[in-house]
Amino acid sequence: MITRRSAIGALAAFSMLPRAAFGADAVKVGVTIPLSGGAGRQGQDVVNAIKAMASLINADGGVMGRPIELLVRDDESTPAIGIAKANDLISSGVAVVLEGWNSPVTLATQSVLARANVLDITMISKADAILASASNPLAVRLNSANAQDAAVIAQYLASKMKSGRVVFVTENDAYGNGAQKGIEAEFKKNNLNYTIAASLKFPFSQTDFRIETTSIRAAKPDVVISINANEGAGLPAFLQQYAQANIGAPVVCSVGTVSPSVVEAAGPAANGLTSADIYFPQAQPYASNPVNQRFVAEMQKQFKVLPDKFGALGAASLQIWAKAAAKVKSFDRKAVAGAIRGQEIQGTIFGDVRFDPHGQMSHHYNIFTVKDGKIDILGG
Amino acid sequence: MSAGRFLPLAGALALAVLGFFLPRLLGGSTLVYDTLVVIAIFSAMSYGLDIVLSDLGEISLAHTAFFATGAYAAAILTVSYGQSAWVAMAAAILASLALALALGLITLRTREFAFSLVTYAAAIVCMNVASNWDFLGGSDGIVGVPPLDLSIGPITLTAGQSFEFWPYAYALLLLTIYFVYRFRRSSLGQAALMVHMNPRLATMCGLDGNRVRLQVFLVSAPISALAGWLYAFQRSYVGTDLFDTYFLVLMLTSVIIAGRGLLLGPLMGTALLMSQKSFASLGAYGDKLVLGAILVAALCYSPRGLAALWPRMRRGPL
Repeated sequence: MITRRSAIGALAAFSMLPRAAFGADAVKVGVTIPLSGGAGRQGQDVVNAIKAMASLINADGGVMGRPIELLVRDDESTPAIGIAKANDLISSGVAVVLEGWNSPVTLATQSVLARANVLDITMISKADAILASASNPLAVRLNSANAQDAAVIAQYLASKMKSGRVVFVTENDAYGNGAQKGIEAEFKKNNLNYTIAASLKFPFSQTDFRIETTSIRAAKPDVVISINANEGAGLPAFLQQYAQANIGAPVVCSVGTVSPSVVEAAGPAANGLTSADIYFPQAQPYASNPVNQRFVAEMQKQFKVLPDKFGALGAASLQIWAKAAAKVKSFDRKAVAGAIRGQEIQGTIFGDVRFDPHGQMSHHYNIFTVKDGKIDILGG
Repeated sequence: MSAGRFLPLAGALALAVLGFFLPRLLGGSTLVYDTLVVIAIFSAMSYGLDIVLSDLGEISLAHTAFFATGAYAAAILTVSYGQSAWVAMAAAILASLALALALGLITLRTREFAFSLVTYAAAIVCMNVASNWDFLGGSDGIVGVPPLDLSIGPITLTAGQSFEFWPYAYALLLLTIYFVYRFRRSSLGQAALMVHMNPRLATMCGLDGNRVRLQVFLVSAPISALAGWLYAFQRSYVGTDLFDTYFLVLMLTSVIIAGRGLLLGPLMGTALLMSQKSFASLGAYGDKLVLGAILVAALCYSPRGLAALWPRMRRGPL
């Protein structure tokens, strides 16, 4: 088990190595992500993936000949703390901050970083407002947006049923409400004759869903859509309690919320759920991508695990920033952002990727189900 | 002016001037400025609760709502309506007074545990309204609050970075402390204390307990709201996290840990908590353990707060 102390120790040891090897001043890269609380375990995995990518970049000569030194901070999934940690990183002289698990934390920190003229790259947070904020006109995000994800879920449901009763079980925050709104809009756009039998909202940290399962049963749904990004505790708890209630309606989880750790934690209760995601290390087109193969091998060498989607997004954030900085031969926020927004970046973990002019990365989706405790990819 | 009054006044002024230069004395980094700015803002926020808790003897759990009201007023008026920070400040005060009046008329009929529970319920209702009302930004909140601009004519008074916010945050803190100082010497402050300590005597003296309680509640709300108003400009984003237990626990702990009723108590408490978090953090779990241990130790061994230990230490062991 990776404890916080061992992670910090390994990080400190790691950050000292490149200095000796390069003899050049390291370029500091800040990372803010939850390392404690409900998303703490996933946050640690993201940090490990970023460390693996930093090792690969440093092994290739660093960024413009300078090794990468990572400064990792725990935002505790709390906007006020995220801001404090962002200011701490600004004080430390970072060239870029890779941030974002919770949308409210990203929304709070991005303006602080923008005011200090420090580039921030959003790794995971999904709220649509992140790229629409006037306070950060140079925003860049790797994870898919709510609107993109909503279309995937709606298309999947349309392929299974043309009408029926749908229950939403949605976390009541920027991410959850945005995701539900997007899916409902897609229903209307595609003329799907669904009845929203219930719309159940809960706080992000909730782990007791017995009241919700009772309400779901009463609503007699044909399908239950779960929008729950609390993968450390909330989603596994919901899946287990829903399975115990023996309601029977299939569960569709919103895009990107079912990581391998959720399947592991939920156990047999995860079997039968359907979802979609943007990265699977051993599925095509990623399995045949040599850049991804090298990253996966580094993860297995350093941490003896396969990276999940979140780890890949964290590592790709660092990789894309390094490529953009090297391309413009500068760490200047505007120059680096200009080399990403509206541009194609070749040779990443995700293959050759394109960013739209608003800074959103495009994605290839795979629909999957969980069978016998394993993720079974149904198709792209 | 007699020496007996002049010396404390001169001492307080010297301390206030020294305090202004504290960020520079501590190195002047972004982290130092940011920490001291939030200490000043969160202290002001806590003083709002301190008046109700220390002087009225009631534990209000609704003060996050007043803090958030000030922040939302600033965000809506500057982002959605392009109004100045001055207009937003006036709106923050008025909105918090209106909310305090509505809450006060309902909650101040109750006492002690029931009062706390009702005020907590009110804060939860406010949070749900903010989460689900598009006018307040819904669950996305309101992004893009502009830098603070209090310019008057040719005098430019703006702040975007933490070091630029310091004079305004410090001024707010000093004004708040002075206001609380004056309040405690006012007839309302004395009446509040009497209603708290001896309600029967207060009634016999002709005081209307409910009226006094409502007046104190109305006085306390704008203090927390002004802190929220400045916080909105400092962090440029206002969301429903402002109603979170993070701020509620911070407020309560800040007031209790140093000692209730102490003029500098909320400032000392907030400074202790935020400094530990910024400069001596042991990580999220470690910080919570430290905070919990200090709180338990303080309440068990010095129920009047850590400041009460000082005279005891001066006396030596009993």
